[in-house]
Amino acid sequence: MKVKIKSWIAVASWKWDVPEDEVCGICRVQFDGTCPNCRFPGDDCALLVGKCGHSFHMHCLLDWINTESSRGLCPMCRQKFEYVEQ
Amino acid sequence: MTFATRRLRKIVGALPPGITLVRAEDFKEWQLDIRVLDDNPIYKGKTYRLSFKFNINYPIDAPIVTFVEAPGITIPMHPHIYSNGIICLDLLSSGNGWSPVQSVESVCMSIQSMLTGNTRNERPEGDADFVRSGNTNPRNIRFVYDDPTV
Repeated sequence: MKVKIKSWIAVASWKWDVPEDEVCGICRVQFDGTCPNCRFPGDDCALLVGKCGHSFHMHCLLDWINTESSRGLCPMCRQKFEYVEQ
Repeated sequence: MTFATRRLRKIVGALPPGITLVRAEDFKEWQLDIRVLDDNPIYKGKTYRLSFKFNINYPIDAPIVTFVEAPGITIPMHPHIYSNGIICLDLLSSGNGWSPVQSVESVCMSIQSMLTGNTRNERPEGDADFVRSGNTNPRNIRFVYDDPTV
């Protein structure tokens, strides 16, 4: 029997490269989900990985860092938050 | 649904020992009862009630957390708790100790341990004047966190 493929549809899934059960410490939503203000996960609602080892949804962290009271510190360890260039 | 309400919904589930939810009808104010679990004679067998008031920016902004009175429930004696229920605790203060990774549970547990570790059955210095001043919003008060002994 000969099979001729006329067309095909590729399907892929993706996830962030973080442990599966990890949630953003600020909004408590899984990293694979979005921050509470976004609808679609992915590059538009990315993660920020800190040099201190703590990660957050970028939007969640920016909400915090942009307040005066954050003093630019990581919410987890209170070191200066600097992100790792990906 | 706002950020604040979505985040608050996540508390539903098991609370730590000695902490019970009394009232959480909306996402503006919650009340929780706390008990000290050890034999500290100042607090043994007593239950105290905490009020959490959230604004729309929670958890970026700290909640306003105070002790409240209710039938049979008093304000605990502590050198950092005023008799009107206002608590002087750095982690409740935006710009000092608050961090958005804190939660209702973690704040309750910190206050539990603040009571557990206390040995002084007294009010803060200047309690009467402070209460008379009528300031009931802890956010407007600039505490000086200068007492490492309590």
